[in-house]
Amino acid sequence: MAQKTAAKKSKKTTSVLPQVLWRKIGASYLLTNDSGHYAWLKEKDFALVTAGGMTELHPLFSELAVKGFIRNRLDFNDLAAKWKKKNAYLNYGPGLHILVMTLRCNHKCLYCQSSAAGVGDKKTDMNLATARKSVDFAFNSPNPGITIEFQGGEPLLNWEVLKGAVEYARKKSGTAGKELKLALVSNFSLMTEEKADFLLKNEVSLCTSLDGPKNLHDKNRICSSGNSHSDTVKWIKYFQKRCKKQVTEYRVFKPSALLTVSKYSLPLHKEIIDEYVSLGLEDIFVRPLAPIGYARKLWGTIGYDAADFAAFYLKSLDYMLKLNRQGVVIREKMATMMLDKIVNLQDPGYLDARCPCGAAIGQIAYNHNGDLYTCDEGRMVGWEGDDIFRIGNVFKDSYKKVMTAPATKVCVVSSNLEAQPACARCAYKPYCGVCPVYNYEVQGSLWGNIPSNDRCGLFKGILDTLFTLLKSPGNAEILKKWVTK
Amino acid sequence: MTKTTLSVKVNAKDYDLDAVRYAAYAVSDAAYVFIKPGVGGVTVEFVPKNAAAKSISVRFKGELKDEKLRASIFDANRDLREFMILKALVYEEIPAGVRQEDSGLTPEQEKELDALIAQVEGEIKKESAGNKTKDPLGITRTWEEKYGAKNGRKKK
Amino acid sequence: MGDKMKTSLSEKKLILDNRIYCGEAVKLAAFVFSGRADIQIKPGKSASQVLIGARSSDLTAGDFMNEVLNQQCRIDLAKKNSKIAGIIVTKALLSAAGKKG
Repeated sequence: MAQKTAAKKSKKTTSVLPQVLWRKIGASYLLTNDSGHYAWLKEKDFALVTAGGMTELHPLFSELAVKGFIRNRLDFNDLAAKWKKKNAYLNYGPGLHILVMTLRCNHKCLYCQSSAAGVGDKKTDMNLATARKSVDFAFNSPNPGITIEFQGGEPLLNWEVLKGAVEYARKKSGTAGKELKLALVSNFSLMTEEKADFLLKNEVSLCTSLDGPKNLHDKNRICSSGNSHSDTVKWIKYFQKRCKKQVTEYRVFKPSALLTVSKYSLPLHKEIIDEYVSLGLEDIFVRPLAPIGYARKLWGTIGYDAADFAAFYLKSLDYMLKLNRQGVVIREKMATMMLDKIVNLQDPGYLDARCPCGAAIGQIAYNHNGDLYTCDEGRMVGWEGDDIFRIGNVFKDSYKKVMTAPATKVCVVSSNLEAQPACARCAYKPYCGVCPVYNYEVQGSLWGNIPSNDRCGLFKGILDTLFTLLKSPGNAEILKKWVTK
Repeated sequence: MTKTTLSVKVNAKDYDLDAVRYAAYAVSDAAYVFIKPGVGGVTVEFVPKNAAAKSISVRFKGELKDEKLRASIFDANRDLREFMILKALVYEEIPAGVRQEDSGLTPEQEKELDALIAQVEGEIKKESAGNKTKDPLGITRTWEEKYGAKNGRKKK
Repeated sequence: MGDKMKTSLSEKKLILDNRIYCGEAVKLAAFVFSGRADIQIKPGKSASQVLIGARSSDLTAGDFMNEVLNQQCRIDLAKKNSKIAGIIVTKALLSAAGKKG
């Protein structure tokens, strides 16, 4: 047995057990620790390290000591600094503020989680007073930088209020002493040059959904005009052109696109990536579908399990790496965020994969009526009749009351990986996170039951893929370039 | 698909109950698990959900060994981890040329660290003493204790 | 017990030894399942008796037992790790509320 072999000691053993987490992948062991360092070890060396039996003469000793895997060679200052940097979000309040301008939408996407209402249902539009109050509320966050993201439904359906909110936020940021970023998530089908001009002049960054080539995109994203893909592509190209012609008065950001992987996407990884590349998009966010909101009802048709997604993800990354080797610039966004943690040991701001998760303390979702939720997914649960994730209202509750609301506290407590039996022991703990909303929707409790939690399976699949790719020097060189600043 | 119940006896001299519970939990994705006391230890019963019974037994035994090692590592490092995390929370970059004492903390940092430790220890003391005074953040009571389970709609 | 786990929850009685599954774990599991089943717990000196009346047939006694084990493992971990867990939660909530700490 590995442990009995390691019991034999030499004169210069460390003989003190180090703090390590591990995962056996194939015949090797992946080691990690709280600071986020990692190392791959063969079984023999794993036994030595975990028994505190590695000597200074061992070829791996120096590398493992620097990474904090040798107990009596710990550099406390260095490891503390790294832990702090990787968990920097613990020092700040919510940075992302999602304003749901309307629940109306002119699309009926198969996987829609945003509980979109029909185009005529104006009672779900946010009014200007609520929008301004929401902006005021967002500026209460102690975070020195805030991002206000306009979402829906389709936010362009509530254009006048959206415009008013942008103007108000920009004016407020002049005196508030915070860095303000504005973002719009839209299907672009209602975009006009006039609207585009306004948004660009106010430095609103733009994001849309692009699910792949026309037949796949339009199958997932049903629009009454039948032109979802054409509209999306048209405006991506427009904004790219504007980005190339930068002016001195304001910055134009490159448009970005999100991919939502449905069951129909699984056989088409190459076609999807080729579509992004053909449009000059340099980043693709391969997002798995979650059975939250209306997507739950159609899960049998459009859903898949963690193993299916892992296979798709590996094929996608392999293809992207191949393109990178040919000189094509294309990066995967989830990988980039994880690699920022793994390689740079820093916080990429990914609210879904941190401890505790970003619910309320990292982001707030502002519903059309001023109700506040822990996140957009929590708001969707509220739309379905269960307000468990509601944390207050912009008109009735102070910032402090919202941050100490029961739902805020319970989301923080239940997403603390140190209190989750499986996560506290997992090698991926320094890089991962749990979602209380997912757990509640799928498994019936905020804590969930992690061994049988498919979201855990998804993240393990992604991280297994990344760490395995990092073992190969050629792949590692490309992946590390993705996160080199 | 077989629904055979598989029983594994675990000797208490080899593995403590916490380790058995965690190892059983770790394979609960593949089986329904029931643990009952036995002579000199416990018996763990598995009813496989889908996988073959043999692979569950192999996984379970592997998890037991892992958990035993993990528990000894955890015990050996608990105080150190607590120190490191507290240190990290109050850590500030020290300019080059300013040398630190062996503890790696300046007097101000030690004060801050002591204050934070005192605050957290105060919270934990209240909890373990069964003090009826509610902790200001209300974080020590479970959601279920405070609000009860939600009715109706939440399903697996 | 294997027999009890194979059948649905429709008329189940489970005996859970207190040395293996503490009362709190059984109670928490019952809360999780309360939306889907009527659960009665009769605590005893050496064991808890749990009576389960299912409202739907897709749940089994095994699901309930796995949830009890889930809760028990959380309790086991809290005994060892509550200080570190508490430090992180305290820091996160204080920072979000705008307080130093």
